[in-house]
Amino acid sequence: MKRIILFVTIILLSSCLRLDDNLFNESKLSEYKLENYTGEVDFRLDYNYAIPDSMVHLFTLPSQASDESSATTIYAVYIGNISEITTDTVIMYCHGNKDHMDFYWQRAKLLANTKNKNRFGVMMIDYRGYGMSEGKPSEKALYADVDAALKWLKNKGLTNDRLVMYGFSMGTAPATKITANNNYSLFPAKLLLEAPFASAEVMVQDGSGLALPGSTVTDLQINNGEEIKKVQQPFFWIHGENDDFLSINTHGSVVYNNYQGTYKEQHRIPGAEHSTIQTVMGFSNYLNAVGDFICTH
Amino acid sequence: MYKRLFIAFCCLSIYSCAPSHFVKPLEKKQHAANVSLGGPLIKFGTATIPIPFITATYGYGIDSTLTGFASVNVTSALYGNVQLELGATKQLLKQKNYWPAVSFNPVVNFIYHDKNAYKIYPQLDLNAFWEYGKRKNFFYIGVDNWFELSSKKAFDLKQQNKWLVSSMIGHTFNGKKWNFNIEAKVIAPHLSNKDIVVDYQTPLRDKGAFGIYFGYTRKF
Repeated sequence: MKRIILFVTIILLSSCLRLDDNLFNESKLSEYKLENYTGEVDFRLDYNYAIPDSMVHLFTLPSQASDESSATTIYAVYIGNISEITTDTVIMYCHGNKDHMDFYWQRAKLLANTKNKNRFGVMMIDYRGYGMSEGKPSEKALYADVDAALKWLKNKGLTNDRLVMYGFSMGTAPATKITANNNYSLFPAKLLLEAPFASAEVMVQDGSGLALPGSTVTDLQINNGEEIKKVQQPFFWIHGENDDFLSINTHGSVVYNNYQGTYKEQHRIPGAEHSTIQTVMGFSNYLNAVGDFICTH
Repeated sequence: MYKRLFIAFCCLSIYSCAPSHFVKPLEKKQHAANVSLGGPLIKFGTATIPIPFITATYGYGIDSTLTGFASVNVTSALYGNVQLELGATKQLLKQKNYWPAVSFNPVVNFIYHDKNAYKIYPQLDLNAFWEYGKRKNFFYIGVDNWFELSSKKAFDLKQQNKWLVSSMIGHTFNGKKWNFNIEAKVIAPHLSNKDIVVDYQTPLRDKGAFGIYFGYTRKF
């Protein structure tokens, strides 16, 4: 009998395990090296894409969700001339779930070469718990952290019509949410999603092969497939056809097909995997596609 | 994103969380409690490990050819789900020299998280087993069939996989009061394991998964 009671007690007490934290795969840093980072990255750009040091600004931001009593300090990088944010178009780059800004530096730097070098400003942050940012990542914190960056940009003179939201992988969640809902510091004018996921439930169903409810393992509410329905701004979707992590068919296509706004374009990249779109496509082709979308729509 | 995501549970694993239950029926009026540990092999960091599913099962010999059983998936319970299996083992044929004994297990799998999240999966296992020696240890092989009843999944996408097949081979060491069981299972070899968040480690490369399970049964 004691054994049965112990068993039941374990079950009851332990019924709070969820996979939510597995969304985040952050790494801590003691300092940012950006261009001098020698760790693993998806690709490295040559000197043609170099950004002058004077255009690279590393700083901290206070991030605070509406129901939090105090702010958490997060780190940000702005690539561009801060004094020209009043007139520049800025790409808000929301990075993926892995590592930190050093890992994504090459990607952000590449975007800073869209059309011409430093034609657009690029803003990137490390979410809570990533790199040197304090705190612990969570779904709610993702939105608060990106909003902290938007607040900073707004204070520097950025307006809605010059804000372009770009999300990669996990970063597609705050990018889509903020573009879909006009209750953040700025309301983006355009949305670009690279290798987006549809929802946590699709991940569970892809993994299990069954039509299993996502809530059986996760409380994550992230649902780009639904949020995208509210987006009216022009939408650019790019996805590797060989994405071996977030299937182009069950994730990206769902997001793209559910978009009901004014303009959308898709870029299915043959041969590209989850992290290799830029290298498979070629940097200049990638930048042309991104730049044409931003400038034309 | 990286492959750590959702690594612990979702997998091809809901339907591969346990080894076969009572391939050979219990004696009439015999009780048995079983605990099994194991699951599909996955890449976790640099190591290959089985997902550590724990299943607890109780069985009762209704007669010498029919055993009823109920299982609780303990790992699933840790995630706040009630995942139960209710089933029976019926022996159809006795062993004749090299011709194996044959049994089958109709099972109902039920997973419940809340009123908006629950599923029922019918399952049918077919087993063949060969007893040998004084202790009546036995080898077995089998086929495990899971059936997905839903025609749609998230975002109204078509549920492609309606019938999920796994095959297993195992051995049971038979004691007077206990059994020890080891089983290897080739899980859903007809399904691709590419383009998902889990790195399955299987000899079939980009198909299905490969599971290893250990079980201990106390008979009383």
